Amino acid sequence: MNLALEDALCNRLARIRALGAARIRPVGLEADRAGAPLPPDHPFFAELVRLGLGRTRWLGGEDPDDAGPTTTEARRERSERDEETRGERGSPSFTGVVLAEELAYWDRGVAVAFPGPGLGEPPILAMGTPEQKQRFLGPFRAPDRPRWGSFAMTEPGAGSDVAAIRTACRRDGADWVLDGDKSFAANASRADWIVVFATCDPALGRAGHRAFVVERGTPGLGDFRIERKMGLEAYESTSFTLRGCRVPAANLLGGEERQSGRAGFKGAMQSFNATRPMIGAMAVGIGRAALDETLAFARSHDRLGDPRVRDRLERSRRKLQAARLLCWRAAWLADQQRPNVLEASMAKAVAPQAAFEAAALGMELLGEEGGRGDHLIEKLFRDVKAMDIVEGTGQIQRVLMARQLVGLPRD
Amino acid sequence: MIDFDLDPALELLRETARRFGAERLRPRERESEAARAVGAPNLAAAAEIGLAAAAWPESLGGAALGALGRAVVLEELAAADPGAALALDPLGPAVHALAELGGEPALRTHAGPLIGRPGARAWLAWNGDGRVTLRGGRADGRLPWVPADRLDLLVLLDRDAAAVVEADGLPLAPLRGAGLRAAGASEVVLAGAPVRAWWVHPRGARRALARARLDLAALLVGVARAAAELSRAYALQRVAFGRPIAHHQALAFLIADMASAVDGARLLVHDAALRLDAEEDADGACAAAFVEAAEQALFVTPNALQILGGHGFVQDYPIEKWMREARALSLLHGGVDAAREDAGRALVASDAPLALAGTAPR
Repeated sequence: MNLALEDALCNRLARIRALGAARIRPVGLEADRAGAPLPPDHPFFAELVRLGLGRTRWLGGEDPDDAGPTTTEARRERSERDEETRGERGSPSFTGVVLAEELAYWDRGVAVAFPGPGLGEPPILAMGTPEQKQRFLGPFRAPDRPRWGSFAMTEPGAGSDVAAIRTACRRDGADWVLDGDKSFAANASRADWIVVFATCDPALGRAGHRAFVVERGTPGLGDFRIERKMGLEAYESTSFTLRGCRVPAANLLGGEERQSGRAGFKGAMQSFNATRPMIGAMAVGIGRAALDETLAFARSHDRLGDPRVRDRLERSRRKLQAARLLCWRAAWLADQQRPNVLEASMAKAVAPQAAFEAAALGMELLGEEGGRGDHLIEKLFRDVKAMDIVEGTGQIQRVLMARQLVGLPRD
Repeated sequence: MIDFDLDPALELLRETARRFGAERLRPRERESEAARAVGAPNLAAAAEIGLAAAAWPESLGGAALGALGRAVVLEELAAADPGAALALDPLGPAVHALAELGGEPALRTHAGPLIGRPGARAWLAWNGDGRVTLRGGRADGRLPWVPADRLDLLVLLDRDAAAVVEADGLPLAPLRGAGLRAAGASEVVLAGAPVRAWWVHPRGARRALARARLDLAALLVGVARAAAELSRAYALQRVAFGRPIAHHQALAFLIADMASAVDGARLLVHDAALRLDAEEDADGACAAAFVEAAEQALFVTPNALQILGGHGFVQDYPIEKWMREARALSLLHGGVDAAREDAGRALVASDAPLALAGTAPR
């Protein structure tokens, strides 16, 4: 058993920390004050691209150990990338969870606004054909400018119950035609493409699900509306419509042959089991930021001599540390290719509550300073609530856990 | 590399302790409680297997499997019978004070003679509140409850120092005991008892207390796990309103939260144990693990009892015993509140108490 972070990962964390203090947190506060997402042409995004961020983790080719690039230039690029991500390839979920916590510590909203293929990447990696990976992830290997991908599952009438989506897809000649409404798709209006989940027959339930890559400018894709939210203002949560939206068959993820059985739905659920611990880790990051700020406030106001204050800070720290370890374990299990449904849901159920408690405690110690609405802790208090909602609410996680623990029926 | 699996040696130890608990302790749990003792065959078998010795230093014939090894064994034994877990360990938490403050010579002199003595018991009594005064080589005061019916070694621990009190001839007045009766229960009155050895070593005292608290935390995780498992199984058998009660969402969610409680507390225990084994400053982590384990055990055990309803309140099932024992365990070594205070003080000594990296390497 070993719970120590490796040096290479610590180095990456140190770089995030430097960027976080200098840029991520300030632009997050900027967006919060503006009450609007950072615009796509914000200089921060170009800066991230210059730093080599906003790229896909797809390495090109099907297998990271394949014959690989043939030119010297490409080989050097590959070898640099390999060095940087050596640990990550052995434990991509764990590494992702640790990095996600640190990013969320500085600003979870900004972390989601980062350029890159975003949540669209896991389904393409899991289900896409080699041609589709090349077409859609290729441009993210060394982007010349900020580019975004997006992911659209949620609908106005289907949130945690993803099997209830109603966006319809039907085959029409060489194309598919999509009709429906999507909501809460991060970065959708600025994205090069959106991975859209649709159903070819609601009566088939999950077996009827298909995932399409819908490219920007496709006729019938429109009505983008950026939601006004309680927090996490830095990135856009966007609703949009698909009206007779015609998508070439080549954009059906996995192609026709992958669609037998429940492949489409399973593709989505696979990515969820890896992302639930990541959302949990983001909650821990927000909670840790609240704890540090609360500690600093209490110290500067001479409150740390009060045992009631110490007790409550101690409780927050302990709950966040336990939540972090639950997230780590769930991600580590995913890396070991072991079942982690129970553990992933546990992490996702526990961490947001611990983080909310930390932020709520911070507000209480701030007192009326918190009521002013201009303190970082107040922003964290608004930001953190979403973590108990996205990727399956805390209640849904308990349903999933109960299926594992006591075989709770699906009725 | 990050790794949540126990090393093969520890995994084997866990399996062994689990089997011993399930086959030999759990079936006699009420018998041991009534007898205020674990039967001689089980005492001999546990010594033969070397369960208590797993974490002892090699000089005592132990396997030196460290704080993690000790936590693993204690959880497994407590998951079968928490009182027996104490009764089966001849050195108990006293070994921590001897090792941390007195080192090898103290272990040789004071712990060595107990090993191989059938039914021997040692105890580490917290004296941070000065309930016992030490003056002129004599100890005076009262220990209201020691979970033992005999003492071959008594060590008093406070913030800075530890003292070995002459155990031979100490009067032990038997008590009913709120729980853990398989280990015995006595009041100990010290009236001029000779002090045989004495060490002042604040850092050693802190570490000894941290280890003693981690023992309690592991025991609490064990008892909480047992209660969570038993009540889950019961909820699948018991039918009400046409379905297993586990399938009513109010109970399904409770059972899920109980599982999270046990796993979260265990991870804090293992994390703290790894820090101890890596020679990190782990006082805060051990104190926090104790607080969390106590809090979660006091969430899980009464709710487990609640799931069994009236069957939980009567003694046909062990749940009512485990609830009492979870409460009793968290009173020892100064109790949870003092641990909370220590964890809080450790927290406020830092600017970034949960920083991901930049902490001491492990």
